[in-house]
Amino acid sequence: MMAPVSSLPITAFKGRAFRLQLREGLAGRILLAVLLSILCAAALVALSGHNPVEAFGAMAVGAVGSPHQIGAALNRTTPYLLAGSGVALCFRAGIINIGAEGQIAVGGIGATAAALAFPLDAPFAVAASLLSAAAAGAVWAGFATAIHLGRRVHEVLTTLLLNFVALLLVQQVLAGPLGQFGAGFLQSPELPRAAWLWRMPSFGAHSGFLIAVVAAASLSFVLWRTRFGFALRVAGSSRPAAAYAGFSLPRLTWSVMLLAGALAGLAGGIEVLGVHRRLIEGFSLGFGFKAVTVALLGALEPLAIVPASLFVGLLEAGSLSMQRQVGVPSALVVVIEGLTMLFVLAATVRRA
Amino acid sequence: MAPLLKMRGMVRTFGALRANDGIDLDVQPGQILGLLGENGSGKSTLMKVLFGMLPPDAGTIIFRGRELSRHHPREAMAAGIAMIHQHFMLIEAMTVVENVMLGWQQAGRVIRTAAIAAQVREASRRFGLHLDPAALVATLPLGRRQRVEILKAILRDAELLILDEPTSNLAPTEIADLLTILRRLRAEGKGIIFITHKLPEVLEICDEVVVLRDGRVSGRAPVAGASRARLAEMMVGRDLARAHKPVPRTPGGVRLSVSDLTGPGFGSLSLDVRGGEILGVAGVDGNGQIELTDTLAGMRRAQAGRIVLDGRDITHAPVAARVQAGLAYIPADRASTALVRGMSVAENLMLRDSGSSPYARGPFLTPVPAATKAQKLMTEYDIRAAGPSAVVMRLSGGNQQKIVVARELDRAPAVLVAHQAAWGLDPGATRFVLDQVIALRDAGAAVVYVSSELEEVLEISDRIAVMAGGQFAGEMPTAEADLKQIGLWMAGRPE
Repeated sequence: MMAPVSSLPITAFKGRAFRLQLREGLAGRILLAVLLSILCAAALVALSGHNPVEAFGAMAVGAVGSPHQIGAALNRTTPYLLAGSGVALCFRAGIINIGAEGQIAVGGIGATAAALAFPLDAPFAVAASLLSAAAAGAVWAGFATAIHLGRRVHEVLTTLLLNFVALLLVQQVLAGPLGQFGAGFLQSPELPRAAWLWRMPSFGAHSGFLIAVVAAASLSFVLWRTRFGFALRVAGSSRPAAAYAGFSLPRLTWSVMLLAGALAGLAGGIEVLGVHRRLIEGFSLGFGFKAVTVALLGALEPLAIVPASLFVGLLEAGSLSMQRQVGVPSALVVVIEGLTMLFVLAATVRRA
Repeated sequence: MAPLLKMRGMVRTFGALRANDGIDLDVQPGQILGLLGENGSGKSTLMKVLFGMLPPDAGTIIFRGRELSRHHPREAMAAGIAMIHQHFMLIEAMTVVENVMLGWQQAGRVIRTAAIAAQVREASRRFGLHLDPAALVATLPLGRRQRVEILKAILRDAELLILDEPTSNLAPTEIADLLTILRRLRAEGKGIIFITHKLPEVLEICDEVVVLRDGRVSGRAPVAGASRARLAEMMVGRDLARAHKPVPRTPGGVRLSVSDLTGPGFGSLSLDVRGGEILGVAGVDGNGQIELTDTLAGMRRAQAGRIVLDGRDITHAPVAARVQAGLAYIPADRASTALVRGMSVAENLMLRDSGSSPYARGPFLTPVPAATKAQKLMTEYDIRAAGPSAVVMRLSGGNQQKIVVARELDRAPAVLVAHQAAWGLDPGATRFVLDQVIALRDAGAAVVYVSSELEEVLEISDRIAVMAGGQFAGEMPTAEADLKQIGLWMAGRPE
């Protein structure tokens, strides 16, 4: 039933990873979905009596108009990229992890606690805090996994519900051991300078973005070029085939959940050390939930999640200036994100 | 007499592939037409086009004097065409009569169970279906479920029934009953398209046979007077070499020893297979075969008993350790267990060996040596695909199974457990699979060959055991096989 044999099977196989990652048409369809959502948003802007071109212009200037604004956009991109890549890996394995929000929050706690408890010298303080953040995120994902595997509760429930527990936990620690007395609202004291992330002069972009890009590239390698990645992809395609291949499903679930939890925790730690320099109640502005959107927008391919998260990061960074200059509410960006999600799902979900 | 169905010049392409390339097909009222062809010859495509599941690129369909075009299954059903799929479209938790009413406009808006049940009983009596309207589908054996599908077609006034490999899941007695039912339908003037691989059934029931090859009609003949060999030749376009009979030989030592093995759905079972020996396990599907083979392969846990391979106890060994120990497994479920359909040929060839050379070094995959190896296996096992990176889903059933066979046999296993290894394959591919298994046996491996195709088991095995109700009903050397005794064993214990 096949077309004539291809002339270069081996080179075709080498290029396989990328051909599958962005299956023909998939990239195009995602771009089309993004374009459609922007058009819809433009129509909404027009309906509200503003000029869409002006509004998007203000948004673009707000996102990339100055070095500082570019830096802010990159900083905004970072948590999406880290958490989204982890979520993508889980989804590839057929595990629906929507607990990134809570893992980010707990990661923030981990980073703060380490930075405050062990005042180390510069490079060690950052490393220790980030490690502690990743560990905290992994532990949080581990709770969800333990309940999922141990009690057979669906992973969507365990990961989702633990988010709310984590958000409350942030409040709890800020009201207690990590809180700053007399601050007026729930936040920790400012962290010691040694624990701050390096920032690029004049741009203000912190080094977390680089960490995130390296992480995404490594995950792409893991997914396509390691035995572990192969097992993940098999398990995601067919559970019986994974069992037949001799892959242990519990072990895979543990590994990928802990990995994704560590990445989300890292995102939380970077947000604390790089942006706020202290733990603040609600510092994760729904990053973990939107990470799912970003992962799907990036077709569950860590490398493609780089542009996907940049898209969301730029949108959000530009939204405030659009509100200031044109008077279109910044919530429009939420509408664009929602529409993009819908269009992307409509464009990429395979028909049965 | 005007034909019931007249298809002219049907063309349907998928990309460069011409799945149907100008096919003409006629069915007369009161005729059973056998539609034969190897896997991938275009039978399914043609039937999907007829039933409105796929639009044709060209061609006309005239059914009962009216042209059918741009139709969907709904219109095809309304016009009087019924399709009975290989996998039944029934809801197990519902009763027969409820399944009959499901999606049936004429059953009315208000549920009138009693009235429909009366119709079910009446039709059941007229066609000898022996169906109780109140029976839960889940409690019915496969043969009865198929009759529910036939009943649905009858009550919906279908004039043309398409049966897609209707006998592949049935026990011999059930097959005989089905053929009787089909004869009654024919006597009432219904047209039937009977898709099958099995020549004896064609000879027994069909009036005419049409053979497809590569999307075209390669042969068309009335069955009366056609011989089995001639039909087989028409089907594959070459003389089928008769299976090389198992050479009488002295088997070696015991390589697989199973004692008192028990699991959910079977047991307790004991068997010993020696090197150079094929133990055929016959029996009607659903008598514990899947449970047994999955347990041997380590995919299900044994509740009791021991499995010893080459002197090593592997009763509790995980799947990967069994593969290492030399246990190969060809599972019955090709679609989602033996293969990952969305992955490439190369990835499927490494599915169970992804931890070792040439597929991986340490934790990393090595795609270039893997592709070279895949290319080599594709040549050796005649897997026809565009290349190692071709997606398995797009291959024909025969080529898919060759991937499984290549993967499991290339390891030179000590023991092979194969379940329905030739299921749904055309004669050419079946021959290939059986020959490979025999070659493995001749190389000194022990083989457990489980199949519900008695002929296949008789042909390939040195010893034959019959499974019924989760246990071995009996065992005998194939050379002394007594079909009557085997039939009695298969009928097994009363339900």
